[in-house]
Amino acid sequence: MDAFLEKFRSQPYRGGFQENQWEEEFEKVPLFMKKAPSEIDPKESPDLACLQSIIFDEERSPEEQAKTYKDEGNDYFKEKDYKKAVISYTEGLKKKCADPDLNAILYTNRAAAQYYLGNFRSALNDVTAARKLKPCHLKAIVRGALCHLELKHFAEAVNWCDEGLQVDAKEKKLLEVRAKADKLKRTEQRDLRKAKLKEKKEQSQNEALLQAVKARNIRLSEAACEDEDSASGGLAELFLDGLSSENPYGARLSLDDQGRLSWPVLFLYPEHAQSDFISAFHEDSRFIDHLMVMFGETPSWDLEQKYCPNDLEVYFEDEDRAELYRVPPRSTLLRALQHPRYFVKSLTPAFLVCVRSSLFWKNYLQERKVHQI
Amino acid sequence: MGEVGVGGSGSLGPGPEVAAAKLLPFLAPGTRVDLQTAAVRHVLALTGSGPGRELLAGQAALLRALAELAAAPAPAPARDAARALVNLAADPSLHEPLLAADPGLPARLLGRVLDPQWPWAEEAAASLSNLSREPAPCAALMAALAAAEEPGVSGLERLVRALCTPGYNPRAPLHYLGPLLSNLSQRPAARAFLLDPDRCVVQRLLPLTQHPDSSVRRGGVVGTLRNCCFEHRHHQWLLGPEVDILPFLLLPLAGPEDFSEEEMERLPVDLQYLPPDKQREPNADIRKMLIEAIMLLTATAPGRQQVRDKGAYLILRELHNWEPEPDVRAACEKLIQVLIGDEPERGMENLLEVQVPEDVEQQLQQLDRQEQEQLEQECQELAPEPWGERAAPT
Repeated sequence: MDAFLEKFRSQPYRGGFQENQWEEEFEKVPLFMKKAPSEIDPKESPDLACLQSIIFDEERSPEEQAKTYKDEGNDYFKEKDYKKAVISYTEGLKKKCADPDLNAILYTNRAAAQYYLGNFRSALNDVTAARKLKPCHLKAIVRGALCHLELKHFAEAVNWCDEGLQVDAKEKKLLEVRAKADKLKRTEQRDLRKAKLKEKKEQSQNEALLQAVKARNIRLSEAACEDEDSASGGLAELFLDGLSSENPYGARLSLDDQGRLSWPVLFLYPEHAQSDFISAFHEDSRFIDHLMVMFGETPSWDLEQKYCPNDLEVYFEDEDRAELYRVPPRSTLLRALQHPRYFVKSLTPAFLVCVRSSLFWKNYLQERKVHQI
Repeated sequence: MGEVGVGGSGSLGPGPEVAAAKLLPFLAPGTRVDLQTAAVRHVLALTGSGPGRELLAGQAALLRALAELAAAPAPAPARDAARALVNLAADPSLHEPLLAADPGLPARLLGRVLDPQWPWAEEAAASLSNLSREPAPCAALMAALAAAEEPGVSGLERLVRALCTPGYNPRAPLHYLGPLLSNLSQRPAARAFLLDPDRCVVQRLLPLTQHPDSSVRRGGVVGTLRNCCFEHRHHQWLLGPEVDILPFLLLPLAGPEDFSEEEMERLPVDLQYLPPDKQREPNADIRKMLIEAIMLLTATAPGRQQVRDKGAYLILRELHNWEPEPDVRAACEKLIQVLIGDEPERGMENLLEVQVPEDVEQQLQQLDRQEQEQLEQECQELAPEPWGERAAPT
């Protein structure tokens, strides 16, 4: 004893804190720790590892260990550290203790932590497991109903509430969640009905349009298949493609109350590599009507001011034969479209417009055969 | 359930009373099954006719044996015995003899109804439904329900659960629980349970107004809801977000009409964008009860306001155009009058343009007073049940 005490007199005390880093060292003493390290390394902090091994003593029964993990998880949960709470509860479940009530609580609590982390599916799996162990565990049922609500399984949420209300008919939270889920379920059903009706309406509109096009003997390009059967099927398909294909202006073929069609129409000006888009060209309107409006003012690209409505010529192109057809400006759109060599592409008819007797146009026409209609 | 007949019943020969009494030993438990079966067939045949039932009314021992047989396990001829009970219970004059012969009958039938395994639960439910039309057996049944309480679950709750759980009994759809509950809802204690704001009971019944399989069940549920609507103190709660009863009363009255977007927005979500194949409730009695229930909800000013706000008028307007039954049409008209009658903005200008003679004006006021009195009177007494009796005044 004396020798032991003598040691302190003769040698300096080595276990003391270093003056320059005492705060850090202080933190490493379990009693003064402000925060527990997330990983405990026995070499770094042997005293902490000792404490841990006392708490989670392998020699204690799985029930006791599981309960300790549950308490640890609950502490994390209270601190809103849900990730660590999940880990603790998982450790508790790994003990596979024989107490179904304790396991049900571990599952239910882990579900709650998962719920707050936004992992509704995992939470649902946990409450389902909890209910297998303890069918009337009200907390699990409430949590399950909340998960279904979050996952937008409204009918399931109502079912879980009803099952919970069989355990406690006056459970406030369940009554509240049920009312909420039921309302959302009914709204969802309305939305489904609405979408279905809209789809049906669009379908019948499309059919009406297709019928109108067919009745006018207007040909759609690439529909001219070899045999008749596939032609009709192909036509409908092509038609739908055309309707759904968004042109830049969002315009599409439409049928008015009088059963007349209006087309989106493209005017191309090859001389200037320009174009105009008419979103609704009534089939009974004439080309000249549109040209009068469009060229009432000189467009900015027409530097030579040549494009006067009365000097303009309209053509359409037969792409297969690379031939042109001249359309009289006083002709209606319908007449042009009904021409046996007119094929409408993407449900957007296109016409070439140029100035009569311009040099460019003469050159352009030289390479092509031109028909008059 | 109507009367259940049995084909080719043999004649009982002379001295029917003697013959009936002679059947008794064959109905006793432990008798050979083939003899029991034959004897029950005879009794079932008797229950199909007035005189037959009159005859059985005087045979207390036989009634008791029949009631016991109706609840006996296979291979006893429980089904025919149960059907005989349905027929007997359909005749109010048999109620007293039945209950006197077997005071435990309501409780025994209730036990069979709530037994998810019992194959003849539908017959038991129909017997109870028939019995509960009359005040005395209805009271006896309420007592039996009170006694059928399981820990934490009242007898009425068990009944509602059986009604609302699809496939509760795989061998019996239990449609007759609907009219049974309707009859029970004539009693204040049953309504107090159904309308307990701390529970979720009436809310669970609401979807059943659209139950496609059975007009018996639908009618029973709608009758129950209508009886509940007599409780005007609960109107705010019934119409509010916690229950939201109105859409469920209106939906069976709605057809496939395509309303304008603006009108559609005014309807409750349940009534919006109904499919083109939407059918109205096919049973005129049920349609009438639905209208009556909504009428009851308009008894108070806030109730009227809420029914108006939820676009009830649109649905009723279309129903009125469609309704083929005159008395349902009349009920519909009356409700529409209540809904549009009070609105001061509408039609006021027209009324001002028209010169109303003073005596006519007085007459109109007199009529208004009378109708108001009539309405109040109607509100004080519960409307009669199609399957049962008037409920007790509240």
